[in-house]
Amino acid sequence: MAKGGRESTDTTMPKFFETALQQSVGMGQDLAAMPYTEYRGADIAAFSPMQEAAFRNQQDAMAAFGMQGGQGSYLPTPVNTGGAIGYSSAPVYDAARANLEASSPATADYISSFGIDPVTGAVGSRAPDRQPVSLEMTSAGRKGGK
Amino acid sequence: MAGGANPAMVQPIANPYQRASGANMQALNTYANPAAAAANMMNPYNQQVVDATLRDVGSAALIGQNQLDAQAEAAGAFGGSRHGIAQAEALKGYQQQALDKVGALRQQGYNQAMGNAFTAAQGLQGAGQQAFNMGNQLQQNQMAQGAMQQQMMQNLINMGKQQYAGFTGQPSQNLNTMLSAISAQPTMAGQERSFQPGLFNYLQLAAGMA
Repeated sequence: MAKGGRESTDTTMPKFFETALQQSVGMGQDLAAMPYTEYRGADIAAFSPMQEAAFRNQQDAMAAFGMQGGQGSYLPTPVNTGGAIGYSSAPVYDAARANLEASSPATADYISSFGIDPVTGAVGSRAPDRQPVSLEMTSAGRKGGK
Repeated sequence: MAGGANPAMVQPIANPYQRASGANMQALNTYANPAAAAANMMNPYNQQVVDATLRDVGSAALIGQNQLDAQAEAAGAFGGSRHGIAQAEALKGYQQQALDKVGALRQQGYNQAMGNAFTAAQGLQGAGQQAFNMGNQLQQNQMAQGAMQQQMMQNLINMGKQQYAGFTGQPSQNLNTMLSAISAQPTMAGQERSFQPGLFNYLQLAAGMA
């Protein structure tokens, strides 16, 4: 190295490529703040009318021989999701989340803080945009840019 | 005949299991108390047959009595002690004959009724089993068809969930597409070396020019 001067070596790439790289990183950061998007519709198809009739017939058959039929269904009420009738796991999911928030509120907050608020859109405190950054490896030479 | 005309007829609204259970119960009742079942199976015309037999035996006895009287009168012994003994013996024979015939008829009738009762019980068992099997078969068919419908509904739900997952996962899919495009490129990075001269370099340059 010559005395008195400063020699530097910078990594370079075509403009379009650097642009794509930075856009991808930006997308990744945004996606990292995406909250969980639960599915709230029907999960398991409800029993069909013929199955319900078969259940009643079986109960009648048991009764005809003086046996207990186990009348009634213990399953939750089916939901209608765009015409598809089935049992939804959403209430079970809601209950599990409520249980977590009640028993371990800090854990629940911690998990939620990585994404945006699904209702208000407020960015969570631990989302990538909120992470502290201290640049230490940036080239001392030329500045980069799009 | 209309179904309601005969109360004993099986009502068409009864389900197969009710019919099977009813038939089974009736068969069990027969086996538990065959005498009662046989009594219900007795031929209602049995008494008429017995009565006719008694009349036949009675007629034969009357004819025999008349013949005996005629023979006693011809022998000049009508009304005598021998005539009386002969009459008593003859009547005794006819009475025994009547009792034997009636007893045999009633025994035959009872045995027939008992046999019919057991035959009917076996028929009920068979009919009950048949009704039970029919009910089971119908149940299985109904369950199978119902399960087919449910499976179709499940397929519909699965397709809807798949679409939803596709929507919610689309941003990640978009990023993956972009990253795939980037990784598919040849090495784009290069190196550029630069030099910024310092004061000493300028002095060297000036000295060189002097």
